Amino acid sequence: MNRKFAIFMIYLLPIPVLLVSLLIGSSENIGISDIFYLFFEPRDSSELARSIIMDIRLPRILLVFITGGMLAVSGSVLQAIFRNPLVDPYVLGLSSGAAFGAALGIATVVIPVQLSAFVFGIVAVGLSWFMARKNKEVSIVSLILAGIITNGIFTSLLTIVQIMSDPFKLQGIVHWIMGNFHNASWDQFSLIIIPVVIGFVILYFFRWKLNVLALGDEEAASSGLNPTRMKIWILLAATLAGSAVVAVSGIIGLYGLIIPHIVRMIFGVDNRRTLVFNLLLGGSFLVIIDNFSRTMAGFEIPIGVFTMLIGAPFFIWLLKKSNIGWQQ
Amino acid sequence: MATIKPIIETNGLSFAYHSKTVLKDCTIQIPENQFTVVLGRNGSGKSTLLRLMAGLLPLQKGSVRIDGIDLKKLNSKQRAGLIGFLPQKHKAIFPFKVDEVVLTGRAAQVRMIPSEKDRSIRDEAIEMLGIGHLKHRIYSELSGGEQQLVMIARALAQQPKILLLDEPVSHLDYNQQIRLLRLLKKLVTNGKSIVTVLHDPNLALAVAEYFVLIHEEKVSHIYADEANYYKWIQSVFSCDIQKVEREGVSFYIPRI
Repeated sequence: MNRKFAIFMIYLLPIPVLLVSLLIGSSENIGISDIFYLFFEPRDSSELARSIIMDIRLPRILLVFITGGMLAVSGSVLQAIFRNPLVDPYVLGLSSGAAFGAALGIATVVIPVQLSAFVFGIVAVGLSWFMARKNKEVSIVSLILAGIITNGIFTSLLTIVQIMSDPFKLQGIVHWIMGNFHNASWDQFSLIIIPVVIGFVILYFFRWKLNVLALGDEEAASSGLNPTRMKIWILLAATLAGSAVVAVSGIIGLYGLIIPHIVRMIFGVDNRRTLVFNLLLGGSFLVIIDNFSRTMAGFEIPIGVFTMLIGAPFFIWLLKKSNIGWQQ
Repeated sequence: MATIKPIIETNGLSFAYHSKTVLKDCTIQIPENQFTVVLGRNGSGKSTLLRLMAGLLPLQKGSVRIDGIDLKKLNSKQRAGLIGFLPQKHKAIFPFKVDEVVLTGRAAQVRMIPSEKDRSIRDEAIEMLGIGHLKHRIYSELSGGEQQLVMIARALAQQPKILLLDEPVSHLDYNQQIRLLRLLKKLVTNGKSIVTVLHDPNLALAVAEYFVLIHEEKVSHIYADEANYYKWIQSVFSCDIQKVEREGVSFYIPRI
């Protein structure tokens, strides 16, 4: 009964969150009536309101929603296939790899940003996996340590790109790395929507198989799956969606770690359900955080700052609570 | 008895982890629809043999035929239909519920998500092991023995012809051990072939129709034979065991 109510709420949640968020912003002249006119009586709505809502706020909110949703989805998927509750795109180095790739694309102009982000996202995750693997096993802690090394490598490479790029661009790049949406536009939206949809559809197809993989390689293999092949598909899909959103949002640290745990606490661990719940809760919650980052100060606080400040104590709490095997 | 066709045949099977040889030139046949017990000391290669037969380790040398077909020619789905495997230990990371764990045994048959039929097969397997009361419990919060029963239910839900069980009773109390062995015997009556590693020679003799003995890298296979059993277990376990006969039944008790 309680869980049914929670499921009902989570499906409903994005609607009020998105609508209220349309009303929040630096221009105080947008009211609920403007939104009403815009959607139901377009001829009576004012040009200014239309422009603020449709060209500035709506693309941003959608972009934030998709980013939050995809970070949570890829976080939960990475946790399942690595059998490691402490990883997410940030911890594994996917974010910094993709951020470096995206920066490289921006700096050089000739390399497509999305492609470069995806390739370096894959390289980063692969590197973490490779470094952590010993005797065909990847322990929880060694994967996190490997992620730190990977993060270090790609953050350094990113610094090189920053040093070499135009000083006027530098401020923008720095802001973007911290996780930021103030440049959100329909162009960015259309840039990420295709890889995000492809990635999500693949993951959605595998959503139950994630349960099998989460039990362990030998268990999955003995019941007739090819765990390595399946993990590669899932990893590609999660990286495709994850790196696409990183390329527009910058690094939003630990967000993909927090949401899957909250979803598990409320709805259990069955990935058949949690995949969609991660999308909905991950999307809605990041939109709420973004509303704060837009309005709390006179200037915009990068959203990545918020998620890190919330995520860090959460990570420590998880580590303590779950007495995760240091020995394993 | 000799006319029974083998369900598993290994031919010249050798296996080494890095430079340590575990199995050497192992050629055995496991009869169909029988209860086979593997006896051998720790580290003698029992688990390796089971894993090789289950297709979970790469074949380094030699071959395995399952139901007359070369193991290498079976795809993972066909293999899952023939062989179910219970690993010695399983470490849970996420707090899955028991029914969710058992359902994963259906993986080979499921395209995207399990159907109603898969769920009813799962329920039958849970019922068969008498763990219906655990169905909605969290797997990782169960005792070692209960977890073992859940993983056996998972292997059963796969509906394989052969069950390879690596020490299935190791975490169970005496009552549970006997109940499980009874159940396994019943499965043999229903047409399954069982291969299981056991350590207790009395329990082994009580259930086995066929033995695989591993001793100093030598693997032999033989029908259960009470007259020679004493000799076998003395050589396999290399220790001083006393044979006690009472009312026509033999017991094997170690001298400590």
